[in-house]
Amino acid sequence: MWTWGGAAVCGAALLAAGLAPVTTYAQSPDTLRFSIVVPDSARPGEAVPIALRLTNPGVRPMDLYLTGRSITFDIIIARPDGEVVWRRLQHVATQQILQVKHLAPGETLELTDRWHQRTDAGAPLTPGDYVVTGVIPTDREPLRTTARLRIMSRR
Amino acid sequence: MSRPSTAIRFLAGAALLAVAACSDSTSPTNREPLPVVRTVQPPDLGTLARAVPGFGGLFLDNGVPTVYLTDVSKRGPAERALSGFAQSRGFSPGEIRVLQGWYAYGDLDRWSQAVSFEAFDQGGVVFVDLDEASNRVLVGVERGASHANITSLAARLGVPAEAIVTRDVDPIQYAATLQDQVRPVVAGVQIHFGNFLCSIGFNAVSGGQNSFVTASHCTNTQGGVEGTQYFQSLSSQPNSFIGTEVADPVYVRGRKGTACPKSRRCRFSDASRAAYAAGVPFTLGGIAQTSGPNNGSLTITGTFNVTSEGDAVVGDIVNKVGRTTGWTQGVVTNTCVNTGVSGSNIVQLCQTFVSAGVGGGDSGSDVFGLTGGNSVRLLGILWGGNGAGTQFVYSPITNVEQELGPLTTF
Repeated sequence: MWTWGGAAVCGAALLAAGLAPVTTYAQSPDTLRFSIVVPDSARPGEAVPIALRLTNPGVRPMDLYLTGRSITFDIIIARPDGEVVWRRLQHVATQQILQVKHLAPGETLELTDRWHQRTDAGAPLTPGDYVVTGVIPTDREPLRTTARLRIMSRR
Repeated sequence: MSRPSTAIRFLAGAALLAVAACSDSTSPTNREPLPVVRTVQPPDLGTLARAVPGFGGLFLDNGVPTVYLTDVSKRGPAERALSGFAQSRGFSPGEIRVLQGWYAYGDLDRWSQAVSFEAFDQGGVVFVDLDEASNRVLVGVERGASHANITSLAARLGVPAEAIVTRDVDPIQYAATLQDQVRPVVAGVQIHFGNFLCSIGFNAVSGGQNSFVTASHCTNTQGGVEGTQYFQSLSSQPNSFIGTEVADPVYVRGRKGTACPKSRRCRFSDASRAAYAAGVPFTLGGIAQTSGPNNGSLTITGTFNVTSEGDAVVGDIVNKVGRTTGWTQGVVTNTCVNTGVSGSNIVQLCQTFVSAGVGGGDSGSDVFGLTGGNSVRLLGILWGGNGAGTQFVYSPITNVEQELGPLTTF
């Protein structure tokens, strides 16, 4: 039996105090701006806040076709060689409803969650560099963007 | 009738004009060697009509160049005028087939234009064609439309009754996609409610009520009836309202002695039923068909027909058609799985997993197995998928009917 696979926290403030956020951007063809915000580093075992931000930088409203009543988004943590160690939507069944999300000019949609530095199997991770990928499914190609994160060594 | 020579009327006229000018059998002095028109382009029929006495039409009969002549003994001009065309198709002029024609091309052309000018005022006319392959004017009318009107029109226009043929045909429509407005409504097409999009699972009759079934979470509130109003394909389109939610059992909380886990809400199907609004045409048992499985196409090319219902076992190959990823097909990997729904406290009991593509908007889709030709066995309603879009989850039809009541689906 599959069990419920973790809660999405949508729209909540998340950035951990004392950690400078790193923001990277992916530009979609229709000028929608998709960014991921993560700290540049985290102490071992510390929950890592991650935010995906969709911004309409234009002067006209946009309709986004996004999946789920609560908007579905994925976060993938991988080693630099591509080995995936954790995936937010791993072993999770999501409803395949499509939501038409209206984004006003200048408006930002923020989707947030925390990664507890565990693998999909629940094992703690070793210090080092990791690639954090944010994915937002749409009714076409998913939006995707990445950032880097360093898990520091214990002292 | 197919039009093997539609393009014939429009192409290569100039080359044939040169040929025709030299091909009048009544003027031996003009009989110079004909230039060989080695072209794959078919000749212009109007030009042929002027060059070949009694010419009544040109077409390929199983690949063989074939002409109608009102006087079959005069094939010489036809052979000369069509030698290049015949050779470009691999035939010598002598192999051109000549059929007895009853009407000259010029007359047929004049009659077809006259009929066309007025016929479309009659209800149900689909096309008017100078049919080169039958040496007649062919009028296509929608099934059920009057043939007598066309017969009367032809008589009034002075067209011989034997020169016009009327045939029942299907209406010709723009190629529609699963996201377009489709009538009669079939399963697999997009529905719109609130600010959400889903797909229709299947049409059904329940207690005499014409209905369609989609996912329970494709209602205003998952579980419980709120009278969700549905549009196909978008509410912004005219005449798009198709029906209202009428059945959607509530989710029940888990307690000891039941299958539902503690602190969760459960049902055996993510399915709801909506009643069609009066006058909305739908096809019972119809599921939109695209050009093939797993090719990404959303263009509707035909219709699957539900002819049975059933259950799947692990290893079965099953299909779905939905508005986002179209027709996808894959293998059943797990059956009767109690499945937690991400972002909620809902557990869907005894669901089926399939290794096949899915995307947002496919919720509510039909799931079915192919049983031969266009016949399919209805298996259930798709509601979920994994994050990668490579696996979908559906509620088996047995569970759906257990919760919505008996449904006539074909």
